[in-house]
Amino acid sequence: MKMNKDEQLLYDWLLWHNCIDENTKSCLDITRLDLSGRKLEELPENFGLLKNLLVLNLSNNRLSTLPESMRNLVKLSNLDIRRNRFEILPPVLQYMPLRSINACSNKLSDLSVLKQCLHIKVLDLSDNMLKSLDNCLAEENELRTLNIASNLCHDMSNVFEFLGNVERLNLSENLMKEIPSSIKGLLSIEELNVSYNHIEKIDDAFFDLDVQIIDLSSNLLRSLHLSSLVELEKLTLDDNPFRKLELDFSFAPYLREFSCDSCGLSEFLLPQSEALELLCYSSNEIEIIPQEIERYTKLQELDIDKNKISELPDSLANLSYLEILYIGENRLSEKAKKVITILDPDICDINMKTGISIDKAQENDLPQMAELLSVLFAIESDFTFDYDKQLSGITRLYEHESSDLLVAKYEENVIGMITMQRLISSAEGDYVGQIEDLVVHEEYRKMSVGSRLMNKMRNLALEHGYKRIQLAADVDNTNALQFYSRRGFKKTHLNIYHYNV
Amino acid sequence: MQEKEKILEMEVCECGQKNVAQAIDIFQNTALPFKKAKKLVTECNKSCCRGVLIKLYDMNQYGRFDYDEIAYLIKQRHERLKRLSEGSSDEDE
Repeated sequence: MKMNKDEQLLYDWLLWHNCIDENTKSCLDITRLDLSGRKLEELPENFGLLKNLLVLNLSNNRLSTLPESMRNLVKLSNLDIRRNRFEILPPVLQYMPLRSINACSNKLSDLSVLKQCLHIKVLDLSDNMLKSLDNCLAEENELRTLNIASNLCHDMSNVFEFLGNVERLNLSENLMKEIPSSIKGLLSIEELNVSYNHIEKIDDAFFDLDVQIIDLSSNLLRSLHLSSLVELEKLTLDDNPFRKLELDFSFAPYLREFSCDSCGLSEFLLPQSEALELLCYSSNEIEIIPQEIERYTKLQELDIDKNKISELPDSLANLSYLEILYIGENRLSEKAKKVITILDPDICDINMKTGISIDKAQENDLPQMAELLSVLFAIESDFTFDYDKQLSGITRLYEHESSDLLVAKYEENVIGMITMQRLISSAEGDYVGQIEDLVVHEEYRKMSVGSRLMNKMRNLALEHGYKRIQLAADVDNTNALQFYSRRGFKKTHLNIYHYNV
Repeated sequence: MQEKEKILEMEVCECGQKNVAQAIDIFQNTALPFKKAKKLVTECNKSCCRGVLIKLYDMNQYGRFDYDEIAYLIKQRHERLKRLSEGSSDEDE
């Protein structure tokens, strides 16, 4: 189909900006368009010729207005205008059937068009200059997710009644001083974030919400009686200057995570829920851990570091699911340390060594590195440890200019290592890095030494401009397989063969 | 793209008086989760530089640093602090 002059001009403009290729035959073929990061100050006046556009990404430009012709984009449902220079949400948006708008990080202070945008379900207005949302929303809106974090809103009391369908609401980093009674308008709320405001007061209506996740951290709450919130699963109250914090018997029967770090608490409060998996009372003034902690049989993580604890109840050792314990910077007695030894959590900060450094290997590290490979070869059935061979191999690697060797050291001893060799990949058409010999001495595992070695090696690969890093792992070494997949490595369909020449 | 060295020298936390390079070094040398590792940088309980630090921490975990993004976030934070101080002076009036 032949394009008219206007269409041809727009088509050429899009080609020039590399957001379409010559396989696109006409403007009407385009349903998704990514014009992000092109320093655009304006769009062509005839942009509305893209009548079949469904998704449009204009983020990271310098736009402050949109052309009037965009009223013809009658199919556009997703619009991304984040990181531009909009001060007014463009009035032309009212003509589009938008379901999702991301307008974060602009300079928005005028949202009056929103009253005409009835079908928006996801709206991100975070990091703007909004002082209020009063009179901005239509009564019959369909909003499900609303993010107005990092604005300048003082008072939301006239807004909640328009948010009856909202399931996720982020109001963090605003200037709210209270949670008003109109909060009861949040009839569908599941996640509510009101952290980093100036909240001193919470209306009783708040405790009747059917919300599952609440973040109230970093406010100015001094007194709080927690009750009801019967659907609540996660509550964060960190960094509030409590003088009084009480938990009602009715409070959150299914609570799984409760965090109350840095709140000036002297008492270890015991939520009723026996489903607790995470409990944090770090950086408080707590002296006594009650025997009743044993009721939390599903507890996986307990964070009570930086308190005034000297003794631990014997019952703590019975928490068989407890994998992570932060308890440093207390004055623990020898008896308390024995309780921790019996509990034997996977990760415990007082067992972690500080002062483990990750550095490039030096020549005098090579014998210890060769020795350390015995730990790795004991796991890998394809190999047999031979110190002389391993020392020879590691020395050759050290001397080879396109190899990188990193060591983790504690008190001058090598306790972990990783190597990388440069290869040329015909698939990538460039250099890639072959990772090998990642091993950490048993005594120093579960201290993230392996992660730190891998992170630093990935940085080196990046500096070298390698297109990919790759490695082989023993199929029976489940710990290693999990480690790599958690760090973003994808399993290939290749098998590795070797042939002794 | 701004020069990487210049970005590494940008101050990321006034409380702990750390620049981007120092924050990265701290994150690379700790096994702690973010909320604890953050305090090694800030040496306080404040949250002013949380947004930048959480990005840096995540970038360290993924082993890939986007220095332009870091520079952008630091600039945004300064702008927000400026806005807040202007907002509070509006209130005073």
